[in-house]
Amino acid sequence: MGEPNEQVREQISAARIYRRFRLLGDAAWQSVAVRVAFVGKGGAGKSVIAGTFCRLLARTTSHRVVAIDSDPLPGLALSLGVPSTDTALPPELVEKVGDDPDSTWQLRSGITVMDTVEQYAPEGPDGVRLLQFGKLRGHVRTVGPSQQAFRVIVRDLAGTDLHLIGDLPGGTRQAFFGWAGFAQVLVVVAEATPSSMLSARRLARLADVDDGTQMVVALANKTVGPDDAEQLGRFSGLRVIGTIPHDPAVGAAEREGVPLLDVGTSSPAVEAVASLVETLTRETL
Amino acid sequence: MKIAVVGKGGAGKTTTSAVLARTLARSGHRVVALDCDTNPNLGLSLGVGLEPTEALLSLRDGVGDEVEHARTWDEIVDRFGTDAPDGVRLALVSKIEDPDFGCP
Repeated sequence: MGEPNEQVREQISAARIYRRFRLLGDAAWQSVAVRVAFVGKGGAGKSVIAGTFCRLLARTTSHRVVAIDSDPLPGLALSLGVPSTDTALPPELVEKVGDDPDSTWQLRSGITVMDTVEQYAPEGPDGVRLLQFGKLRGHVRTVGPSQQAFRVIVRDLAGTDLHLIGDLPGGTRQAFFGWAGFAQVLVVVAEATPSSMLSARRLARLADVDDGTQMVVALANKTVGPDDAEQLGRFSGLRVIGTIPHDPAVGAAEREGVPLLDVGTSSPAVEAVASLVETLTRETL
Repeated sequence: MKIAVVGKGGAGKTTTSAVLARTLARSGHRVVALDCDTNPNLGLSLGVGLEPTEALLSLRDGVGDEVEHARTWDEIVDRFGTDAPDGVRLALVSKIEDPDFGCP
């Protein structure tokens, strides 16, 4: 940023992305809530894609975009350009529904889920709100009320018309334990490498257990040729919904610790994420 | 010597662990490589191959609920591990096989 011609490029890029959505029809577009969770092996590129996705989506809609980071290590904050926080949510936000140990949790009466977004999800570039699990820097052995508060907020947000974009920690654990339950679409991010595709094939099992309301698709990342997406689809058994080409701008942004959108607005990866925003919006409609 | 390799996703933990394990084994040490990731891929980096890696049962499943007649760790690694190149013995600690929406 800063170079005048870069700013012009950014405006042109934003206008092009916006025009794409105009084609979808404003009325339909404005009424739809996109709820997506990015999952996959560690290092597959979930955070960069999720952060870029949130900001491009926010540029095309009047509805608020809430980025959900349930990873106890910072990642999404960097790719969005929002300061990361160590602070967990206040435990007093939630209460148990009943008295028995197995009872579920709910927001304390008088607190709405919108209040929690206003107060605890700071606003970043393009107006994206970031709800963070709270980064864990020490030993945390129990799931306390503060962690329950995070899950209750995410659950309740799924009943609103806000756009929800989740970035899950690498691997299968959170995804297999229901942390992406808010999403209509689970996007399994994978490279065309054996370990990344093996993780994708394991995550594809999520398609077997859902109740038919959740769609599981794959996204080929860091591709170097057309074979990569095809190989991922064949190996994982998932429909490949998009392809993000290998792009040196991604590595450069990560090394500098800045959002991809702020180093090169017209990079191939950014263009590909813009297409993904369009594709997933269509799928949601 | 007991070494644990930790770090952020994509930082290179698995590759580092595999190279460490095989290098130590080549210099004559007895090495057990423990994959502690619930999404285990260490077998791929060690050179065990894709399907054998996927077929491994975890030690946690090997221990089971049997407490009184619990096997020793050596026995469990023998029974549930697999041989990797350079004489490394690979075992998984715990693998999450399937989605379980009952868990918190």
